[in-house]
Amino acid sequence: MHVFGVIASVAFRNFKALRNTSLRLSPFNLVIGANGSGKTSLIQALQQLRALAKLPLGDPAAVTRVGGSEITFVFDAPHLGVTARLGCVDDVVCDLLRVDPVNAAEWEEVKVELATMRSYVFDHAAMAVPASRDSGQRLAGDGSNLAAVLARWQRETPAAFDRLQAELTRWLPEFTGIVLPEDAGGVVRLGLKIGDAEGPVMADNLSQGVFYVLGILVLSFDPAPPAVVCIEEIDRGIHPRMLREVRDALYRLSYPAAMGETRAPVQVIATTHSPYLLDLFREHPEEIVITQKHGHEAHFERLADRADLAELLRDGSLGDMWFSGILGGVPEES
Amino acid sequence: MKIAFLSESPADEAVLRILVEGALKEKPTVASAGYRARGWPNVLQVLPAVIRHLHFNTDVDTLVVTGDSDDSPVHTTAHDAPQYYHPHCRMCQLRAVFRQTGKRFPAAHGRLRVRRVVGVAVPALEAWLLCGVEDSVNEAAWTEGQARGILPYTRAELKLRVYRTERPSLPHEIACAVREAERHRRDLRRLEYDFPGFAALLRDLREPIPEIS
Ligand SMILES: [Zn+2]
Repeated sequence: MHVFGVIASVAFRNFKALRNTSLRLSPFNLVIGANGSGKTSLIQALQQLRALAKLPLGDPAAVTRVGGSEITFVFDAPHLGVTARLGCVDDVVCDLLRVDPVNAAEWEEVKVELATMRSYVFDHAAMAVPASRDSGQRLAGDGSNLAAVLARWQRETPAAFDRLQAELTRWLPEFTGIVLPEDAGGVVRLGLKIGDAEGPVMADNLSQGVFYVLGILVLSFDPAPPAVVCIEEIDRGIHPRMLREVRDALYRLSYPAAMGETRAPVQVIATTHSPYLLDLFREHPEEIVITQKHGHEAHFERLADRADLAELLRDGSLGDMWFSGILGGVPEES
Repeated sequence: MKIAFLSESPADEAVLRILVEGALKEKPTVASAGYRARGWPNVLQVLPAVIRHLHFNTDVDTLVVTGDSDDSPVHTTAHDAPQYYHPHCRMCQLRAVFRQTGKRFPAAHGRLRVRRVVGVAVPALEAWLLCGVEDSVNEAAWTEGQARGILPYTRAELKLRVYRTERPSLPHEIACAVREAERHRRDLRRLEYDFPGFAALLRDLREPIPEIS
């Protein structure tokens, strides 16, 4: 069965280092490349689309701007044939959106999905901070309302909370559960139980990696997930042997049926700098996107488009090949 | 007997533990750390260090290592001849690492060397798991297919048949693998007969631990 993402492809013209390049997107996409090679620009483009899609469409005639940046999105089934073109004033501000076909009824449906799109760059320090009970509707982009989100799940969707807690204690068996004490002012703190005898370890004494794990699990077990999720540096702070679990947690979003879930698939765009994580995609090279940077210009390549892919896979691990430079996506050396 | 495993994943290690227990008819003491390699050829790269570590720093006397053959040439009885070494056969490669690594070590922890137990799953561990369930899956069928240039199945197909999905979660993968390994534990003869790469592992396991004379 073919699983569709929301967005089928993105094409860039003069957007930051992405001068002229396009990219087909899968339900799950792992983007690798050197620092500053366009991984974040891809995610920023999606954020711009989300922001502009909320606004009423402008005058179609006014959209073509000479020399400016342009980003074109093509959507996947069931909205196949719908395209959205962003016009940008500069690298940062896109202020024009044109949809083809004009007045497409499907655009209204696409808009609803785009409005749910979320991007994450987890910040363990922010995640450790106590959060107001009422701030837990959606996990914030830096994860800063983690405690409030978990507390809301515990109150409103206890089944999802229990599944997350069970997965957390499977990944990190030194912990036995989550505690979320709330003070009189409605501020929730996060702690993890380490057995019955001792008190819980509260957030300010938990290691960084624990917060990253919790952030990924919140996304993975979200009972009402966004249609598209972007996550930067998914390997950060996580032991290399645990990266298989991270991959599977994100597969739970993109391929819910494979994990026994019944909800709709979530399109995932994740970035990493870990060769060990890349190793885990040997059987699904179609999910790997490499950003290549030459001088001031960057472009995207899908690993699956390499003519010598079969030989590459025979010769060794993808992570070693990436490091070696054979796959590209490595820093330029002066 | 104290055993260590070098494998590619917790699922692989779970299977090997069950098969080794089945062969020994008892639960051996297992070294607390499960040693891991990141696929081929990484297993060849870390194996010398693992052997050296076990020899000098632990009282482990048996190291069980397996690899998947993937597309490499399958080990045959011809390779077992003294002094023979097939440069692309993974069984020959793994055995050679044991031979070369332990050669000059002084005896330690009451034994001469860590005993070598090596198996190669053709083309992947999932074939062992399907043995006895799908008659068409066996080492001879794969070797014939390689010779004719038409492989009877792909690794991806084998995985799909065992796990029923292209993307199993780790707990699901372990549960499926353990279920099939438990089926073999009761009677290893079919696996031994259909997969010479497993029979070789059993033969190694029956060899005595190299004692100090
Ligand atoms: Zn051989």
